[in-house]
Amino acid sequence: MWSQIASAAIFIICLWLIFSERLNRTIVGITGAMAVLILGKLQGFYTESQAIQAVDFNTLGLLFGMMVLIALLEPTGFFQYLAVWTGKLSRGKPVRLLVLMGAITTVLSMFLDNVTTVVLIAPITILICEILGIQPAPYLMAEAILSNTGGVSTLVGDPPNVIIASAAGFTFNDFLIHALPVVLVAWIMVVFTLRYLFRRELSAQPKNIEALLLLNPVESLEDWRAARRVLVVLGGAILLFFLQGVLDVSPAFIALCAATVALLWVQPDIRELLKRIEWSILLFFGALFVMVGALEASGALNIVVSTLTQIIHIPPMWFGVILIWIVSILSAVVDNIPITVAMIPVIQGLETHGINITPLWWALAFGAGFGGNGTLIGSTANIIVATLSEKTRTPITAQFWNQRGLPVMIVSCSVASIMFVMIYPLLSQ
Amino acid sequence: MIIRDFMKRNVFYVHKNATIFDAAEIVVNRHIGLLPVLDDAERLIGVVGLKDLLTLEMPAFFDLISDVDFVHDFGAVETSHPSQEQLMQPVTSIMQPATSVEENCGLLRAYALMLKRNLHDLPVVSSTGKLVGIASRVDIGTAILATWKNIKDAQ
Repeated sequence: MWSQIASAAIFIICLWLIFSERLNRTIVGITGAMAVLILGKLQGFYTESQAIQAVDFNTLGLLFGMMVLIALLEPTGFFQYLAVWTGKLSRGKPVRLLVLMGAITTVLSMFLDNVTTVVLIAPITILICEILGIQPAPYLMAEAILSNTGGVSTLVGDPPNVIIASAAGFTFNDFLIHALPVVLVAWIMVVFTLRYLFRRELSAQPKNIEALLLLNPVESLEDWRAARRVLVVLGGAILLFFLQGVLDVSPAFIALCAATVALLWVQPDIRELLKRIEWSILLFFGALFVMVGALEASGALNIVVSTLTQIIHIPPMWFGVILIWIVSILSAVVDNIPITVAMIPVIQGLETHGINITPLWWALAFGAGFGGNGTLIGSTANIIVATLSEKTRTPITAQFWNQRGLPVMIVSCSVASIMFVMIYPLLSQ
Repeated sequence: MIIRDFMKRNVFYVHKNATIFDAAEIVVNRHIGLLPVLDDAERLIGVVGLKDLLTLEMPAFFDLISDVDFVHDFGAVETSHPSQEQLMQPVTSIMQPATSVEENCGLLRAYALMLKRNLHDLPVVSSTGKLVGIASRVDIGTAILATWKNIKDAQ
């Protein structure tokens, strides 16, 4: 009992430290991982080899492979090119600009990391807004929110999806069949919600539309040759993701293959490239896996699972709906990655009690993805656009975000809940 | 060859209680690029350059993108100016830490310092930190080059 309480306490303290932002989350993660290892050693419930086995290398491999691809694409100016091109397409009409910039960010973040996408698109958005003489805040918020929403639709779109897919054994196509329809409806509803929430800002008349049309996307492209090569490899990787089931390979296998081919073809300065890899995220993941592994090994999660099965005697369908809301509320206030990593063994535990857990995986993905929109600290993309907006004349404050993010979160979670009930038979397969 | 012999002694400066607007006015009227900021004891506490003042006019995107060559027209940015409130802020809010040298500093050291820190004007202070002069790159550079004449004469 001691080891269960102690390992659970370490995990909760770590979550609290991440939430309070008093310490960097990677440092918290590593400290927590080391703490459970020492505890496991002392109490004899968790060995080093168990800890290494707890690390899901499938998740880490996939994340690393995709990080290499985006790190190769980043300096080519391709994102800048796309953003400028999309901005011009709006012809300076505010609503159209919001939808188009949101859409391009969504499409990119369906296949690439949200954070990098937002980091690269947001500066161009500020540029376009400043040229037009309008407030960038609504557009920046829309980009973060829509990319968070869109990311839920694919296996590689969002880190929680990667872990869920690995734990549940979902393929790329599983996500397209089960998650994409829900996300599509939620995305459209979110656009309407944003349009309503920002109705005042979007009615501002932009000046200097001619100046926007004078932007030249081609001139913003730094290295078209490298961009083309990475895009060809990325396209190939996405094609292989579709065929993942037939080929019987893991997504990590495909991503690492693609990364290797791209590295060989582009031959970048490897030291510069490795600096752009987000090692802190990979380490954070590894540390979380070790911590949750200890929770599992100590039996703490078993207690949660058996308590859950005793308390709830509701149909699994409604349990799924409740899960969407609980996970989304948790993800709005804490990082959604630790929440997902901790929920996985709980859901796996429910399976041993004879519950069909397949729909619960989707509920977890929807909750973790859509919950991040609720507050400014809900997702990294939110924090990034808010930080960038501090340089402009209308910075996004936490209050500004929460007043608009919460309605968006409620709308998207409601859509997810309704769709979850409607297509429950499909989600159960 | 020390900087005291080549610096300008009539220095235009601004007091630390002045506003950004006051500083800009001196820069414009005197047509200078760097304005030392002094405290009550006339000690150098910082500098405000043309660049620091112009930052207030620059758009936010300037810092966010690596190049502006694809932006052919700055649009609304061209006609947006800092607010009155911003201009009434104390000059110390945009002041930069000053790089200065003492009066007996060698010319080559002064020039090397300017090159490394990408400075165009170098304030000169007394041993108590009082501002006594200012030297530009041209002042220092030409003073150094003038010595080449001696090399030629020696032949």
